[in-house]
Amino acid sequence: MALTGRAALLALLGTLVVLFAPRPGPAVAGVALLLAALVAVDLLLAGGVRPLRFTRSGDRLVRLGETATVDLIVENPGRRRVRGLLRDAWPPSAGAAPRRFALDVPAGERRRLTLTLTPVRRGDREAAAVTVRSLGPLGIAARQGSHRVPWSVRVLPPFLSRKHLPAKLTRLRELEGAHPSMVRGQGTEFDSLREYVPGDDVRSIDWRATARRSDVVVRTWRPERDRRVLIVLDTGRTSAGRVGTAPVPLAGQEDRSSAGRGAGLGGPSGVLPGGLSGGLPGGRGGAGTAPGWPRLDWSMDAALLLAALAARAGDRVDFMAHDRSVRAWVSGAGRTELLSSLVNAMAPIEAELVEADAADMVAAVLARARRRCLVVLLTDLNAASLEEGLLPVLPQLSSRHLVLLAAASDPQVAAMAAGRGTPELVYDAAAAERQSADRRRITARLRRQGVEVVDAAPEQLAPALADAYLALKAAGRL
Amino acid sequence: MNPADITDTTDTTGARGETPAGAGHTGTNPMNPADPMNSAGLAAAPGTGSTSVSPTAASLWRGGRGALLVALIVVAAAVAGVLLGGTGGQDRRLDPDDTSLSGAGALARLLEGRGVRIARVTSAAEARTAATADSTLLVTDAFPLTAGDASRLAGTPGDLLLVGGDRRLRTLAPGLRATGEARTRSREPRCALPAAAAAGSVHLGGTTFAVPRGGTGCYPAGDDPTLVGYRDGDRTITAVGDGDFMTNLRLAEDGNAALAMNLAGARPTLVWLVPPPPGEAAAEPGEQGIYDLVPPGVRWAVAQLALAVVLLALWRGRRLGPVVAERLPVVVRAAETAEGRARLYRARRARDRAAAALREGFADRVVPRLGLPSAAGPDARVSALAERTGQAAPQVASALYGPPPADDAGLVALAAYLDMLERQVRDS
Repeated sequence: MALTGRAALLALLGTLVVLFAPRPGPAVAGVALLLAALVAVDLLLAGGVRPLRFTRSGDRLVRLGETATVDLIVENPGRRRVRGLLRDAWPPSAGAAPRRFALDVPAGERRRLTLTLTPVRRGDREAAAVTVRSLGPLGIAARQGSHRVPWSVRVLPPFLSRKHLPAKLTRLRELEGAHPSMVRGQGTEFDSLREYVPGDDVRSIDWRATARRSDVVVRTWRPERDRRVLIVLDTGRTSAGRVGTAPVPLAGQEDRSSAGRGAGLGGPSGVLPGGLSGGLPGGRGGAGTAPGWPRLDWSMDAALLLAALAARAGDRVDFMAHDRSVRAWVSGAGRTELLSSLVNAMAPIEAELVEADAADMVAAVLARARRRCLVVLLTDLNAASLEEGLLPVLPQLSSRHLVLLAAASDPQVAAMAAGRGTPELVYDAAAAERQSADRRRITARLRRQGVEVVDAAPEQLAPALADAYLALKAAGRL
Repeated sequence: MNPADITDTTDTTGARGETPAGAGHTGTNPMNPADPMNSAGLAAAPGTGSTSVSPTAASLWRGGRGALLVALIVVAAAVAGVLLGGTGGQDRRLDPDDTSLSGAGALARLLEGRGVRIARVTSAAEARTAATADSTLLVTDAFPLTAGDASRLAGTPGDLLLVGGDRRLRTLAPGLRATGEARTRSREPRCALPAAAAAGSVHLGGTTFAVPRGGTGCYPAGDDPTLVGYRDGDRTITAVGDGDFMTNLRLAEDGNAALAMNLAGARPTLVWLVPPPPGEAAAEPGEQGIYDLVPPGVRWAVAQLALAVVLLALWRGRRLGPVVAERLPVVVRAAETAEGRARLYRARRARDRAAAALREGFADRVVPRLGLPSAAGPDARVSALAERTGQAAPQVASALYGPPPADDAGLVALAAYLDMLERQVRDS
């Protein structure tokens, strides 16, 4: 049960009665008894909450940054009207709105309530409980009860880099020679012979075939198809670090565009970015002090663009997420269902605060990828962890596969490196230079071992990785 | 948003070969069972049922009956204790009507059994009225004796029995003087006073007295007696250092009862002065507090207001549904390691390391632009830089390979100079 403000108001009015009553003692008892009687009557006449039946329908999937709607149908099989409040409780990061509904369901009828969810984080969001407060006819007291109405909404990675896909696909078509500009395909795989037409590159004339026929024949080429790409996502501690500016508001963080308006979307979830950014030397803008997006999310974005591109290019794409053990594995997905399989596999993955086990990762890759493939490692160029983890076991991997390592750099460090003027800023710049030097050193070591390295700012990581893939494809190195 | 968006993207990039700008379209095709998104274990028949999770009356009773039983036992024990404990309320020490351990009801009953009339009075004025020449006035240490009371009592006729402590002896019993304190324990009379000698050993102590001229001291603690009796004019004044022996607790021990009855029952009437009940203390006009002037209705109204506040708290405190907990991701900026290193540099004024880092970064960026191999030695780098920028070679050499700056200003200047060199190389 629950009381309402009217009960308190009646008790307050009772104070006046008691104050001027000739016999105040009995008056107090009388007011209390009257209140108790009213509450009891109201509770008896309120519509029952327990017999209510709930049904959900609506979205099961939503991209991060977009809004899903979930319908809740309330059916009242009881004999009394149920009037009052309803709260559909979801985790704070599900961004459920409105927080409470006004409910009025006559006996034997049903009502549909529409809840909108604007999640601020990836992952599965489970509905917690539906609570109904059913007021009595007097509005003094209410019956209250909760129901479990299971529903979950999976929040998928936003795949923001899909805006780069048209440009990359255009480049891919140029490689294949299928582009309307009629440039010769630059692949290395023999495609077919055809008659020479003016404008063809004379270097591609196949003289042997020309000799057999009376016509001039040219060879056409195309990039290799049906190669294998294995995308390995590092979900260890280095992927938890936040870089750049979150393109969609994450939990505990204000939307970039709403920063001026004040209220943060992630407020209720209780993360305090302000506490982390306190005491920074002044002069760098507020954008630099926001915690940004985890490297993991940038890596996922890049992985999705690469997967879309590779699938379009006719390559087979597998996906693995790994820290101490394999966290997710997608293999053998057809071209049409690849991206949906990938986003489903990625959605619940969060960075774990453990050191990634590179030896186990290499063993897992070797066990799963029998044929030579392009292994795309999405991790961080962290000198310490790479030197201890990946470098000792890298030769096993690079001897059988082509390894491409992609990492998002930190714009904040770049901003620090540009600091000049006061000793504090110069010390900051020196520390940032030191970190950049470590990064360059480990990059150089990796390249000496035959690993391709893509090191780009978070927003540029996805196109840079796609470019690196296209370059490898053009060079016939896949 | 429709989940089919992503399927759209796949379609455009895969089979249909259309421009994938359509990836952003809001798809309208419904989720079908063959949709791969459903195959990820999310498929569920629409219309999942609901189950009530609120406790029923039966489950509340099952869960709460143990606690209820314990509460009932506690209440029953408290009620029994109060009922068996005799008079409720606070103890009234040395009161003839009090039957608790510190009261003196037992002594009063004994005296009445011996035919002594006990007049229980609660103020000095009443005591003065009640006292006659053939009565004993008993003033115990339970009565809060003011100076006015003492002067009122000083002139009463009849015997005076002072029990315990410093009872304004100067006014009430001229000639008697307190000398100190003694532990309360069983003591022997060691005197000729008939009342004491007949009683034998008694539980006494408290204040010790100096024996006035013509008086008798009994039950000495060390040299000074704890009971003194002497004649003042035509009346007898007796002072006892402590009143514990008259209480219900002690009366049955030693000769306590005998001494108490000998002293208090010496005359047919005993005027027993006890403190007034707490409520009547302010009964006299002029001594009312501010709260006594408040009409009684206000107190009840305050009680009613408290009820209203409780209801208000219940209204506001009742949550609509549970608090939903959620596992939150860690929020840590990747730049924190660099910032931590910067703080260490700053805290230790590590100019050597800072300068080395700045020079290394400068060399990594500038040497390739100079067209030198990365293995080029210092001399080659310095001469190439000096030639390219027009700076003096020694100055360039000291900026690149000189000793670390001596102070922070030197470090700032070094950073600025390296910046200038880099800009010139870049722009040339």
